[in-house]
Amino acid sequence: MFRNYLKIALRSLWKDRTFTALNIIGLTAAFGVAFLLSMYALFELSYDRFHEKIGSIYEVYTNEQTSKGVESSESNPIPFAGALKEEVPGVEKITRYVTGAPLLTYNGKTFRVGSSWADPAFFEIFSFPIAEGDAVNPITDKNSIALTSTIATAIFGKEPALGKSITIQRGGEEVPVTVTAIVEKIPAASSINFGAILNIKNLPNEFYKDNLDRWDSHNHTVFLKLAPGTSPAQFEKSTKEFSSLHFADEIASAKRDGAQPNADGNYRQIKLLPIEDQSFITIKNGLLTVSKTLQYIVLGIAFLILFIASVNFINMSLAKSAQRLREIGMRKTLGAGKLQLFFQFWGESILVFVSALILGVFLAFVLLKPFQALFDTKASFVAISNPSIIISAILCILLITLTAGGYPALIMSRLGTLQALKGKLDVSRKNRLRNVLMVVQFSIAIILISGTLVLWQQLDFLRNKDLGFNKEQVIAFPLNTKQDHGKVIQLLRNEFSRNPDVLNVTAADNILGLGRDGSNMRSVLGFDYKDREVSTNMLWVDFDYPETLDIELLKGRTFNRNYKADSLSVLINEAMAKELGEENPLGARLLLADSIQYNVIGVVKDFNFEELNKGVEPITLFMDGNSPMRYAYVKVAPKNLSKTYEAIKGVWNKIEPDTEFLGSFLDENIDRTLMKERTMTTMISSGSILAIILSCIGLFAISLLVVSQRQKEIGIRKVVGANVSTITVLLTKDFLKLVGIAFLIATPIAWYATSQWLQNYVYRIDLNVWIFLAAGTIALIIAVFTISFRTVQAALKNPVDSLKTE
Amino acid sequence: MLLELNNIFKWVSQGGSRVFLLKDINLQAEEGEFISIMGPSGSGKSTLLNVIGMLDGFQEGEYNFLNKSVHAMKEKNRSKLYKEYIGFVFQAYHLIDELTVYENIETPLLYKNVKSAERKALVADMLDRFNIVGKKDLFPSQLSGGQQQLVGIARALIAKPKLILADEPTGNLNSKQSEEIMQLFKELNKEGVTIIQATHSEANAAYGTRTLHLLDGSRNHI
Repeated sequence: MFRNYLKIALRSLWKDRTFTALNIIGLTAAFGVAFLLSMYALFELSYDRFHEKIGSIYEVYTNEQTSKGVESSESNPIPFAGALKEEVPGVEKITRYVTGAPLLTYNGKTFRVGSSWADPAFFEIFSFPIAEGDAVNPITDKNSIALTSTIATAIFGKEPALGKSITIQRGGEEVPVTVTAIVEKIPAASSINFGAILNIKNLPNEFYKDNLDRWDSHNHTVFLKLAPGTSPAQFEKSTKEFSSLHFADEIASAKRDGAQPNADGNYRQIKLLPIEDQSFITIKNGLLTVSKTLQYIVLGIAFLILFIASVNFINMSLAKSAQRLREIGMRKTLGAGKLQLFFQFWGESILVFVSALILGVFLAFVLLKPFQALFDTKASFVAISNPSIIISAILCILLITLTAGGYPALIMSRLGTLQALKGKLDVSRKNRLRNVLMVVQFSIAIILISGTLVLWQQLDFLRNKDLGFNKEQVIAFPLNTKQDHGKVIQLLRNEFSRNPDVLNVTAADNILGLGRDGSNMRSVLGFDYKDREVSTNMLWVDFDYPETLDIELLKGRTFNRNYKADSLSVLINEAMAKELGEENPLGARLLLADSIQYNVIGVVKDFNFEELNKGVEPITLFMDGNSPMRYAYVKVAPKNLSKTYEAIKGVWNKIEPDTEFLGSFLDENIDRTLMKERTMTTMISSGSILAIILSCIGLFAISLLVVSQRQKEIGIRKVVGANVSTITVLLTKDFLKLVGIAFLIATPIAWYATSQWLQNYVYRIDLNVWIFLAAGTIALIIAVFTISFRTVQAALKNPVDSLKTE
Repeated sequence: MLLELNNIFKWVSQGGSRVFLLKDINLQAEEGEFISIMGPSGSGKSTLLNVIGMLDGFQEGEYNFLNKSVHAMKEKNRSKLYKEYIGFVFQAYHLIDELTVYENIETPLLYKNVKSAERKALVADMLDRFNIVGKKDLFPSQLSGGQQQLVGIARALIAKPKLILADEPTGNLNSKQSEEIMQLFKELNKEGVTIIQATHSEANAAYGTRTLHLLDGSRNHI
């Protein structure tokens, strides 16, 4: 029996080769892409879930009430962690955590290693297994260091690393540290990542020791593990006393500035963030929120694509069943039961699904490498292969096969014997389902197309937005050097003065956008100005900073080599002038924390020094040399850009031959900060392209069938005088109605979704009707094109041929 | 008594009034009979055959098959009954296009769960008997109409039914082919198979042992 089914299944699939091929191609593409997309989303969602004590590990942050509203802060003062554990019940383990990229030297070779500093409890809270060495507390000693196996191999090669002494450069001095442990490779899905980890006490004095008793200098993250039986909400509540005791000054000044307490009457609320939500943090209006929208959108797209392909399958099978009615009827008279017929047709579906599935997995494997590169992800089959995911994937696939394959089988097996034998079918009912499915299909396609168009426009808008500085002509590169920064900058200036293509050189302690070194920082200072607390971002710059970057000066002057006192002068931006509340801020004196007075000598126009999902905040530009210049900025002439780039690279290699040149144009840096938007745009646009292709495959197949079913009607109409165009219109009209309905359904949904998404951006495009009309028109044109393949051909056919077949 | 129809009525409602397809049909058939049903198009020949074959129901009357009341049976038992005792031969042959001659003949046995070895023997016998051994691997589309109908009859016979229902079995054939098929029916009848055929042709009807005339759904005379 089974062999008979298999045989007939293969033969009937072969007989309808076109349909089988369309089905398998569609399903294969859908499975392949759905695999990749869900792999990406599941991988992202699995971040930080490998820790054994997950569920009781939290990051500590604080919601502060300010006069401008609530603001979240993730950084804490040095004595905070110890005091929290002492004074608030429920903390089992707590660790402070700092990251950086120090230079490690061994045997004369120097490496820049992304590193962390933490308390010894770090290894008791998190699950980073130790491969070799002290497995319990590898970083107890102030001068101990634990390396990951990758870094240990990079530094020591095949030599054993344990017990070796290496030097670490910190704050200008070199300190020897001893390797006490080798940490196993850190899982790909970890948001905590380091090549080396040291005791927090190893940090320079101005970071750690000088701040031991200071509660006003916030500089690190704190993680804790709650004791069993303590709920985070309960813990948050019990920190009230703690906050009012240790942050009395801050609370007092917040009250003075007119901040409103929160619902519980607190001005500061310590909050706990589950560690598994760490990688989904976004700051929305100053408040820390967890957003997994992107991941769920991607999962949703994967699901929609599978849905569209399944709809195709259902529609084609149902339409095709009309041609198999006689077989169904015949089998019934020969004694086939409903169940036997169901299994026969279901078996055929499974055959198609299984082959598409296998091909889809194969496709996903082939596309994995380019996919990983395109979306900059480490997602892979291995990364997400845990039993629960595999089981749910299998269940999911079974479910899809059962419904998409089983539904047509069910319908066919239920047909009455005689009805089937006569080849007649209650057509209207079946077409309604088909039409509904096609409307849903096209709605999805139109939503995805509109999403793509909106994303494109927004991305383009952000890319081309006037940021207030010149991003096309400025190359920035990190000054990764052990030499004195001032000296290096001077050397650069001297070298470049000979190059006519270099127009200006400056330096600063922070980058604009995101450079190739992938690092970025933010320094914020709050101080009292005229009995009111104000806060500002801080940037230390070298001479010619506004000139090099073409930042417009609105008032006053910029730093000048001729003015000796300029080390105590500052430039501020418009937002800062507003923050100070000064009509004319020139000459305003800022008394910062360490009681030195700074003079405002100029106001520059606002420029976007932070990511584009934020507006321009107040910023103050210093030149007192308190922070080392970490990046050089070079303005070049607009022509010969690549040649000048090479020249700059050459100069750098001359000054610092051992360190790689990591220069890039600022517009590239800005692009890098738009990584999330680009990922989303690429995913949604590839999803929508696939969705429209799949919908068209379905439409094409249905049009084939409709035409073949109406062949006689077309013939008769032609005989009585219809011309080609009226027949084409007749055949196309019904489908276009469906696309039209889909457009009406999809547009409001797309409008709502995209406008919600745009709310995330301070700088955003205005939605207009044309985007959605364009999406609808694209869908319509593609649909008409697809259908007309067959309809025109049918309309052109000699009626004698089509009538003869009857 | 093989089967007995008593006062069978079958109608469809059309615009509030009843259109009768079968009107007060009475028929008794003994085993071994060869009955021809004659009548013009639309007189209900096919409907009657379908009712006898249990493919179609009726609104009023009684139908006993081998002393079992068909009208009171559930669908499941009914299909069991016809699977066991009735074979169908159609005007348009209704062979399954995707299956070879051999497989078409084999299909009823599959649905009766006959074992593989026995199936082989039975099908081989049948092919042999109808002289189509050489065509067993061909598909229906590769055969002439007469040959297709031969396969259709072979398929109807393979399950050893007591009754064969033939709905215009020669309607699509030329006169020579049709004579051969009718001859075959006559032989089968001699071997003890009961046959009921619907036909237009007086000549074909003459092969039967008795003829039933239908006019607009009711029997006018025997």
